[in-house]
Amino acid sequence: MPALKNTFLFVEPLKHYLEYGSRVMQEIVRTYRQPGQIITELLGDEANKEKIKQELQRLNPIVFVALGHGNVDVWSDECTEVFMRVGDPEVELMKDRVVHLNSCLTAQELGPAIIDAGAIAYIGSKEEFWFFTGDAPGTTRAVRSPFLAEYQFDASILQGKSNSDARQDQMRKYDEEIDYWTFGDGKDDPNSLELSRILGINKSISVFLGEGTVVPSPTRPMVVSASMLPILLPYLALSWLIYRELKH
Amino acid sequence: MTKEFVSNWISKLPEAEKDLPLLLVDSSAYTPRVAYNEVMRGSDLGNKLQALIESGRFGTTLSDEQTIAKLRLTEIMRTKPEKPLFATLSGKVFTPSELLKEIEEGTSIGNQWVNNEISHMKSLMQVR
Repeated sequence: MPALKNTFLFVEPLKHYLEYGSRVMQEIVRTYRQPGQIITELLGDEANKEKIKQELQRLNPIVFVALGHGNVDVWSDECTEVFMRVGDPEVELMKDRVVHLNSCLTAQELGPAIIDAGAIAYIGSKEEFWFFTGDAPGTTRAVRSPFLAEYQFDASILQGKSNSDARQDQMRKYDEEIDYWTFGDGKDDPNSLELSRILGINKSISVFLGEGTVVPSPTRPMVVSASMLPILLPYLALSWLIYRELKH
Repeated sequence: MTKEFVSNWISKLPEAEKDLPLLLVDSSAYTPRVAYNEVMRGSDLGNKLQALIESGRFGTTLSDEQTIAKLRLTEIMRTKPEKPLFATLSGKVFTPSELLKEIEEGTSIGNQWVNNEISHMKSLMQVR
């Protein structure tokens, strides 16, 4: 059965410095989720192999967004537990999905293997993905900035955009964040020089493979139900009065 | 050649970038601020630096570029507190001095920073 549109699985481990990314991922989901979307987040200890496989089979989500440590042919979940390696049956679980692996190096071998297994698209990094750990997770723009840029792809998908539009938004967000630390309000921050470099590296190693025209979570026109009429009627009446006055 | 060209260029650079080495003349590296002062003084060195700035170049060979990039990264890192400030999603964590060691030894991690720095330097030279 094809993966279900409007359905998302986010994997958010916390240990081994991964809380820096997971806090931003949670923020993105909270901010951009739309009515009608089915979203599951596996946080911390729940971000384990067994639970991820279970949720992939139960939800059959079209979008799989996962933060974790990685290497050229492997991606791991909480506590660096290996979830999938090139050649493992777990790679087949990526079929028919848009897969965003926020980790190091997977674009070299694992990303292409995921596309070969039938995924719609893959987003990842071909070299080391960097982030700043000078402050506690989630507390400053400096620690959030690399992930804000990277997760713009997912923010745009949540808002109903196609893969290619979301990818363009992601690249634009990288430029915005670099500009913030180089010429914008962040330019006098004591960490501005490192942040502009980190973002420059992460942008240059970002890879998109697969189909761009697919819209994983199309926005739907609002359906007016009978229960909403008491709220909407005064606005409709007012609009009609304004229209009548303007017409004369 | 006009001094205004150099004046406009340096005025558009981020403040923090003005004191990082960027231009190479006769095997010596100069910061944009020093270059600006030399150009305004009208010295021979100033003329050479101005020619580089106007042509958008900062070094003549890849080796020169790498040398300047490493100098700049050393300047950036040497003022930072010695604690884990940089991490990767392959599970590595670095203090500034540990990262500098990677850069000096030319490891794949270090080269990632050096190559990015060269791109960054090129973009600074294109500021108009």
